[in-house]
Parts: sequence; structure tokens; C-alpha cells
Amino acid sequence: MVAVAFTLTIGMLNFLNFTIPALFMVAAMITWAATAAGLHWLVGASIGMFVSIIASLIIERFTYRYMKAKYGDATEHALPLVSSLGFLIIFEHVVIMIWGTDPMSFDSPFAHAQFKIGGIIFGIPQLISLGLSILLVFGLSLLLKRTRLGRALRSIAEKPDTATLMGVDVGRIVPVVFMMTGFLCALAGILFTINYKNVSPYIGDHVATNAIAGMVIGGLGNIWGAIAGGLIIGMVEVLSIHFWGADIIKVPVWGLMLLILVFRPAGLFGHTQIGKGKF
Amino acid sequence: MSNVLNFTSVDKSFGGLRVIDNVSFNVKKDSRTALIGPNGAGKTTIFNLLSGIYEVDKGSIILDKNDITNIPARKRINMGMSRSFQNIRLMPHLSTLENVMLGQHHLANSTKENFFPLGLIKRNKWAARAEQALINAGLETYPGQVVSELPYGIQKRIEVVRALVSNPKLLLLDEPAAGLNSTETKELQTLLENVSTTGTTLFVVEHDMNFVRNLCQHVVVLNFGKKIFEGTPDEVAKDPQVLEAYLGGNDDNAP
Ligand SMILES: Nc1ncnc2c1ncn2[C@@H]1O[C@H](COP(=O)(O)OP(=O)(O)OP(=O)(O)O)[C@@H](O)[C@H]1O
Ligand SMILES: [Mg+2]
Repeated sequence: MVAVAFTLTIGMLNFLNFTIPALFMVAAMITWAATAAGLHWLVGASIGMFVSIIASLIIERFTYRYMKAKYGDATEHALPLVSSLGFLIIFEHVVIMIWGTDPMSFDSPFAHAQFKIGGIIFGIPQLISLGLSILLVFGLSLLLKRTRLGRALRSIAEKPDTATLMGVDVGRIVPVVFMMTGFLCALAGILFTINYKNVSPYIGDHVATNAIAGMVIGGLGNIWGAIAGGLIIGMVEVLSIHFWGADIIKVPVWGLMLLILVFRPAGLFGHTQIGKGKF
Repeated sequence: MSNVLNFTSVDKSFGGLRVIDNVSFNVKKDSRTALIGPNGAGKTTIFNLLSGIYEVDKGSIILDKNDITNIPARKRINMGMSRSFQNIRLMPHLSTLENVMLGQHHLANSTKENFFPLGLIKRNKWAARAEQALINAGLETYPGQVVSELPYGIQKRIEVVRALVSNPKLLLLDEPAAGLNSTETKELQTLLENVSTTGTTLFVVEHDMNFVRNLCQHVVVLNFGKKIFEGTPDEVAKDPQVLEAYLGGNDDNAP
């Protein structure tokens, strides 16, 4: 799901948004903190989501829009990328200042919800996460493909200047992309918290590497590809932990990504801009 | 007859080069007016000033009694002005129908219409309206095709339809007949004549003088950023200054 968020901003705005893992982490931490403070976990999750969406809008204001206003076109500069990296670091440190660096454990309301098929354990939360992801991507592609808002978004992805002449309000629609980004990251963060039952200020880093790998494997800008890529990464991780242990977990993941880049530079499912009608 | 457009004393320079030099003209309501001139005369620049791609350095632009000199490009389509481009500016990976629907983007602007899954509902009024516009232009065979895969002449006409569906008071067309064969040009002329009977004023940049003569009652002539003549097509064809401008420019399209 984080991969989908990455892919969305890349495909739409041609912008690798490094604050995505930070949003993910913030939402996870807030969910944990609110629940630890005695609130119902759903309330915690809602607060986490709210904060993440607001934070994403603030980020839009200060990275993408600021650079665009100053230099005409945000996408042609490394600046938004660098400034979003800046936000990542700021968020991490704010969280560390408040809650420290120790991983915190989270009492999942679904801790024992699992079942076994042929020796493999499936957690109900994992399955729900997968289902939700697929549902969301389905909804997202419906939104992009079938609605007026989606058409406006795809036009901005293709020719923002011409879209403006058609009366499309680019300044109001770009924040919508960032809101969706915030929402997706938060949801991913919350699901992560429930699944893994412990959170730390550094989970963002781990997830970012995997999500970027997932996005590249699936094909840049292709939201279905991002889901598939994410699943493949997850599977490679689980299998390699099983066979080689957890220490070298990054090797097979990045190895796979490199292999795919060498043989299929456009990713397994094709490099595509959101506008291209591929989904 | 009143004017739908007053273009008054407009200057525009690019880095010291004056491209539009104190140009004034009016476009009469419900007329079919042409803007002609040799290559590089500044015709497209005038369209870009009208549609807000560039800001004027000096002068004013009044569209149907509203001063639009300095309003943002995005708002001008709401004021009743739309345009097509000399170099096609369709959204290359959207379908024909979607491109046309983009042309009426500003008309359907309630929140509900933003999120309504259009494609799933068969009898959607916006889709139906766009389809009808394509039928009127004889382009009904291509609604679902991605436009970048279509021939140039078709794309050119789709762009005209996209500008049309906004129901503009003033329709700006930058060389709509360029690249069309003679049959297509005839069809375009018929389409535009029909459009101009429905309360849309046409303002057309075109090199094809036959097309201009057949379509337009009034012609504004530009050379090196200055207006050099204004009159009926016949007057234009006889004016020595206009002939001089075209001969001096070695242009094959002299009127
Ligand atoms: N953005 C710009 N920056 C600098 N110069 C420009 C710009 N746009 C146009 N010009 C110059 O302005 C002059 C007029 O150009 P314009 O495109 O308006 O001509 P035109 O009459 O449309 O010609 P054509 O018949 O070839 O389409 C040209 O000399 C061109 O080089
Ligand atoms: Mg031109």
C-alpha cells in the first residue's frame, strides 16, 4: 500500500515523495500512543489517519507547491525530493523526541485471529490487509478512470498547462493527490501496527526500501503493479527469512529488484503514467 | 451590432523583442472574423494573450463587457471563451470522448459530479452531450480510441470539438484547417457555419485564404506585430499593403 502511495505521486506529479514513509510511521506511532493511553484502538487509528492527512497537505504546501511557485515546474528539480527527505528526517526526530527510540509493543485486538492451511499460518489481519489493499486500488482506479475528478487528475498528469486552460483548477486538485497519499500511508501504518504488534520511529525506513522496491518491480506509476510488487516483496522476504535467516533479508529483495531492472527496465507490468489508460 | 471582444492598444514583448505592437481591433458579436498574416506575424501570440497563457504588457482585453485583461487563464473558459491550438494539445493518452468531456469540465462542477462514476451509468447527460458533439462533427466512429493513435486530421477536428462543447461566446481557432484535405476542410466549414448560428462568435487564424473567404465576413491583417489592415475578404485581397506584406515575406499563401 505504501508502494501504491509512492506510485501515485510519481505517476501524477512526477515526484518521488520521501515523506511517504514518515507519514506511515507517524500514523503507526499515533495509533500506538493513543491506544497505549487507554483509548480504543479505532479512535487511535482515526487520530493517526487525521494527522497523517493533515501532515501530507502541509507537505504539499511546503515542498511541491512552494517549489512550483518559485521555479515554475516542481518536477524538473531535485528540490522537492530533497525537501521531502528533509520532512522525513524532521518527522522521525519529532517522534523520537516525544516517544524515544525503543520499539513499542502494541496489544493487537486481533492477536490470536489466525488459521492454518497445510502448515502455513495465515493471520486474519494479514488477510484483511491484503483484501483492503486490493479493494482500495480497485476504488482508486475507478476514481481515476471513471470520474470527472479522475479525468482532471489524469489531464494534469499529461499536460497541466492545457488542463488549466480547460478550467481544471490544478492548485486545488494536486492537494487531493497528497490527501490520498496521506490516507494510504496512514492506513498502511495502522495495518502494520495491528499486524506486527510493535512500532518504532524507524519502521518508516524499512517500509520505504521495500515499497520503493515494490514500486520498481511492479512498474513506475502503475498502481496495480505496485500492489503486485508489494506482494512479491513480501513473499520474497518471508521465504528468505525461512531459508537464509533474517540477517540478510535486504539482499534477496534488492537483488530481485536489480534483476528485474536489468531484464525488464519498465518493471514487470510496464512503466506507465497514470494517464495512459493501463488500469 | 455590439462587440463580443475589444482588444485595445495591446503591447507584448519577449526579452526586448516587441512581438505585438499597439494592436487594437474588435470582434463583432455573432460574426465570423479571421486573423491573418505572414508566418511569425504574432497571430498565435494574440491568441495566447486572449486565453491567458501570456500576460499583456500594456492594453486591455474586454470579453463581452467583462475585463479579462489580467484574470487567470483557468477562469477564462468560464467567462465564455475557449480555443484550439496550432500544435495539437489534446491529452494524448485519453480517449476521444474523454478529451471532449474535458472541454466541458468547467460546466459540471458540483461535488457530486466530481465523484460520480460516469462511465458506469449509461445515460449520463455529460457523456451524451459529448457524444452528440462528436456526431455533429462527423467523428462518432472514434469515441473510445486513445487520441494519440488517431490520424492528424482527426485529432485536429477533435480539438475543435473539445473547444466547442464549452458553449463559448467566443471560439478561438488557431489554424483549424491546417493539415486537413479538401473534403475535411469542407466538413469543417459546414460545422463552423452551424456553430456560428447558435450564438458562438468565431475568431479564426488561418493561412488557407479560400477557407477564410468562404467562412468569414471580416478579416484583421497582422504583420510584424502590427495591424496593417482590416476589412472584408475582398478588400483585403486588393489592399496593396497586405499584398506587399505577403510578397515581402515570400509566402505562398498570399490572399
Ligand atoms: N514565448 C515566446 N518567447 C519568445 N518569442 C516568442 C514567443 N512566442 C512567440 N514569439 C515570437 O513572436 C513572433 C510571433 O510568433 P507567433 O507564433 O505569434 O506567430 P504566428 O503569426 O502565429 O506565426 P505562424 O503563422 O507561423 O503560426 C515570432 O517571432 C516568435 O518567434
Ligand atoms: Mg501561429
